[in-house]
Amino acid sequence: MSEPRILPQALRLVRRELRSGLRGFGVFLTCLFLGVFAISAIGSFTESAKSGLLADASALLGGDFEARLAHRQMSSEAIALLGTRGDLSHVMSMRTMVSDDHGSKRVLAELKAVDDSYPLYGRVGIEPQQSIEEALKNSTEFGALVEQPLLSRLNVQVGDLVRVGSAEFRIRGIITTEPDRTLSAFTLGPRFMTSLAGLSATGLVQPGSLVYHIYRLRLPDRNVVNQLKEELQSRFPDAGWRLRTWREASPRVQFFLDRMNQNLTLIGLCALLVGGLGVSGAVRGYLNGKINHIATMKCLGAPGRLIFTAYLIQVLLLGALGSVVGLALGAALPYLLKWLIGDLLPIPLAPAVHWYILLKAALFGLLIALVFSLKELGLTRRVSPAVLFRGYSDNSGKDPGTAIRLAVVIAAISLAVLAVSTSTDQRLAFWFVCGAALCFGIFRFVSAAVVSLARRLPRASNPSLRLGIGNIHRRGSPAASALFSLGLGLTALVIVMLVQANFADMVNETVPNEAPSFFFLDLQTQQVAGFQEIAESLPGIRKIQHYPTLRGRITAIADIPVDLAKIAPEVSWAVRGDRFLSYAAGMPPGTKIVDGVWWPDNYAGDPLVSITADIAKGFGVAVGDNLKVNILGREVTAKISNLREVDWTTLDLNFAILFSPGVLENAPQTHIATIQVPPDQEEKAFAAITARFPNVSAISTREILKNVSNTLGRIGIAFRSMAAIALFTGFLVLAGAVSADQHRRIHDAVIFKVCGATRFDILGAFAAEFLMLGLIAGMISAVVGSLAAMGILRGLMKMTFNLHPGTIVITIMTGICLTLLLGLLGTWKALGQKPAMYLRGE
Amino acid sequence: MREPMVEIKNLCVSLVGGAGPVNILRGVHLSIAGGETLSIVGPSGAGKTTLLMALSGLEKPTSGSIRVAGVDLTTANEDGLARFRREHVGIVFQSFHLVPTMTALENVALPLEFAGADNPAEQARTALAKTGLGERFGHFPGELSGGEQQRVALARAFVARPSLLLADEPTGNLDHETGLMVMDLLFDLQKEHGTTLVLVTHDKVLASRCNRAIHMLDGQLSELTGGRA
Repeated sequence: MSEPRILPQALRLVRRELRSGLRGFGVFLTCLFLGVFAISAIGSFTESAKSGLLADASALLGGDFEARLAHRQMSSEAIALLGTRGDLSHVMSMRTMVSDDHGSKRVLAELKAVDDSYPLYGRVGIEPQQSIEEALKNSTEFGALVEQPLLSRLNVQVGDLVRVGSAEFRIRGIITTEPDRTLSAFTLGPRFMTSLAGLSATGLVQPGSLVYHIYRLRLPDRNVVNQLKEELQSRFPDAGWRLRTWREASPRVQFFLDRMNQNLTLIGLCALLVGGLGVSGAVRGYLNGKINHIATMKCLGAPGRLIFTAYLIQVLLLGALGSVVGLALGAALPYLLKWLIGDLLPIPLAPAVHWYILLKAALFGLLIALVFSLKELGLTRRVSPAVLFRGYSDNSGKDPGTAIRLAVVIAAISLAVLAVSTSTDQRLAFWFVCGAALCFGIFRFVSAAVVSLARRLPRASNPSLRLGIGNIHRRGSPAASALFSLGLGLTALVIVMLVQANFADMVNETVPNEAPSFFFLDLQTQQVAGFQEIAESLPGIRKIQHYPTLRGRITAIADIPVDLAKIAPEVSWAVRGDRFLSYAAGMPPGTKIVDGVWWPDNYAGDPLVSITADIAKGFGVAVGDNLKVNILGREVTAKISNLREVDWTTLDLNFAILFSPGVLENAPQTHIATIQVPPDQEEKAFAAITARFPNVSAISTREILKNVSNTLGRIGIAFRSMAAIALFTGFLVLAGAVSADQHRRIHDAVIFKVCGATRFDILGAFAAEFLMLGLIAGMISAVVGSLAAMGILRGLMKMTFNLHPGTIVITIMTGICLTLLLGLLGTWKALGQKPAMYLRGE
Repeated sequence: MREPMVEIKNLCVSLVGGAGPVNILRGVHLSIAGGETLSIVGPSGAGKTTLLMALSGLEKPTSGSIRVAGVDLTTANEDGLARFRREHVGIVFQSFHLVPTMTALENVALPLEFAGADNPAEQARTALAKTGLGERFGHFPGELSGGEQQRVALARAFVARPSLLLADEPTGNLDHETGLMVMDLLFDLQKEHGTTLVLVTHDKVLASRCNRAIHMLDGQLSELTGGRA
């Protein structure tokens, strides 16, 4: 008789087993569903947002092609060339103060002056409805469109007059949508839109003013945009402009989306890992319930391999079911979001099914299911038919065999490789994998240590406490599983909470006592003395700083053109377009020279430059190397004379690139100034300076930080939501473990009652057990989470780390309360079980 | 006159099943003196186990009264009944009902722990030694034979020196030889402690070892030898 083939037999067994439904697999399916959903939803949302950005790229950029210059207009030759290629639009933007007609109230606004061709793509939404040409047309007075906050801050209405610089503007409407402003996540004030002629009349555009000239082009065929960019770069190599095509419309937003996706995916993976414990527990519980069945099949001649294969297929099928539901909902999320709140989202969504994302999430789900169930499946091969004769069985401590252990290791490594290889920041993903493995190791060790310690504890005099401790170390106890799952979930939450709290600290701590109250931009050279005079007369004035500022672009590093130079990614911002530059005779306060020397007083030699040490490191340059900078079309080559370390968190005025005196004094420039006054004097100081210098833009540090805090808060919601999924999964696993243990608890409770235990004794025993588990899980999570957060903040983000005891206490309390609640809910049935009924049933 | 250990008057127990209420005990009267041994025999479904459960306070009577060791079980609440069991009653089941995740010693110590006794482990050890399981303190039920498990259950039932021991077919799951050994042990311990014993059994030989035997049929008692029913 030939040996029957395993697979058909296994499939037949699977069909029979699954006929009885999915009872006992609730936690298994939910854990996989949640984890796979989290990963696929984040990925699908990101891809849909990126597709949306690309689809609307021309509208978001304001054209198919954009050339942006600081301070100055494009050369007429370049304008002429662009004019032959398509429809050209010229827009100017700057920050400025807008005041009411009487000059009694002033607010900072983002001014945008547009020509008649604006917008090339999309339309400006105006309330009351009118065309932009009509709204901005110059009759006897200039027209302006503003955003609603400007009206409320100035207490004016549509139809009122406002002043900007030396010109008056009639507000003709409220801007409800602005096609090319969707992505400006960080702005310092509401929009003020007028015509180019209107801006010119303000008198604000002075040499060196912080004004941008933006030229946009609508091409007949936007696919030729790269050739146009190359042509412009080769024909006008020294133009000093920043060129962007529609393909590069939103690099920062895309970068931000990628980072968010990356970080949220890792937290999602964390949820999936915690869910893995649920998978393991569910499979263990299911197979424990099948031991007699397996033993019977073995008695009847079924080989271990057949049993293993049959249950492996079941686990894979059920894993696929949980994952498919998760994938479907994850893929549907962008569609749902667009349908429900599409208009409220700051990013256009173009929902589509992204197979790569779904495949990645499915693979994560499959590998998690395998990693966490193979050991339990392997143990089915070890079930002895003798169990049928003895009545009790215990598989704990049994070895599933070398092949299974090897398979678990291979699946775990595959999981790690998948996590790292599909990540945009592989270094971060690598450390995440290491951290997760370490966390698993720690919690495994701690769980074993707690169980072992509970066994060795001297017998407590209180019977409930003694039984509670006994419940922790007894065979089949859910303690290890509870500590593991709850601990990992709470750890993820502690990490997210601490990282967020430290970001908030960073924002709040940057408002130390010595931080400036205001930054003033576009102070003209001839206004500096007057500014100094007024500032000094302000009551309570503590500090006044001002520096000349120019905008310049680095064109060569150590005599190598910047395009060819090797630049570290963390300082690539320094060569991305124009940067603020300044010059000074004396060293700025709060500066530390780490190499070279500061130039002597009254220095009048060859151009020297001082740069920050991090830029020097990223550029690979040292003291003595040259740096070439293009300032308003003029090339300046300066020798690096020293490297500085700057503490930017003080918000003191400082510059990454500072020239020696005698180089830039004659270039068109403005000044930037800061003052520090007591908080109760800020309003007066603001009024005094903006009234005297209407061209100067005043930026409140408090407002900026509020803006940053709000942005961080919004980002924090996403991270907290993901951590909550991880924690929820942890509770689910705990609930599963308690539920799997319920039959045993009911049996024990009945025997306890028979032996004279009151309900209070039993409740006390269960409460003591879960109280101890919650306390331990909370404490370990607090320690592990704090260490991990410290590693992330100090190691990866190079930030300071503050321990937040409040966060830790809340974590411990959350752990205790929820474990207790969940544990007691799960054991309530045992408590209320009538012994007579149970014993009769037995 | 000394109060009897057990005094049951007109005890009725009805259970509600899917097909309506079922009258399990129908007006049972029974009095058992302290130190007496009583066997209850009768066919399956006669109500023997229900009577035992009512005696232990595990089953609430529908009507009638039960006093055991001076405690009125009909008026006590659930926790009061638990305290009554811990102070006065030991129970031995046919299917042992040990806690599988506790060692033999831990199982035996349970009633003492609930009663807040001093050195429960020490007393449990002594009780186990008396059943001949002195070497098997640390074994779990799954590691013991059926006879050994029932001996652990006997030790657990006697360890708190109850005044009333209720045994529900204690040899029902054991072979003849092992059953005899367990019953010898049960009667020895009963004699040693002077415990009142109520034994439910199908085995007439076993029943005859008691001072008194009563027969139960359709929820009512009839005296077989001596005493009153």
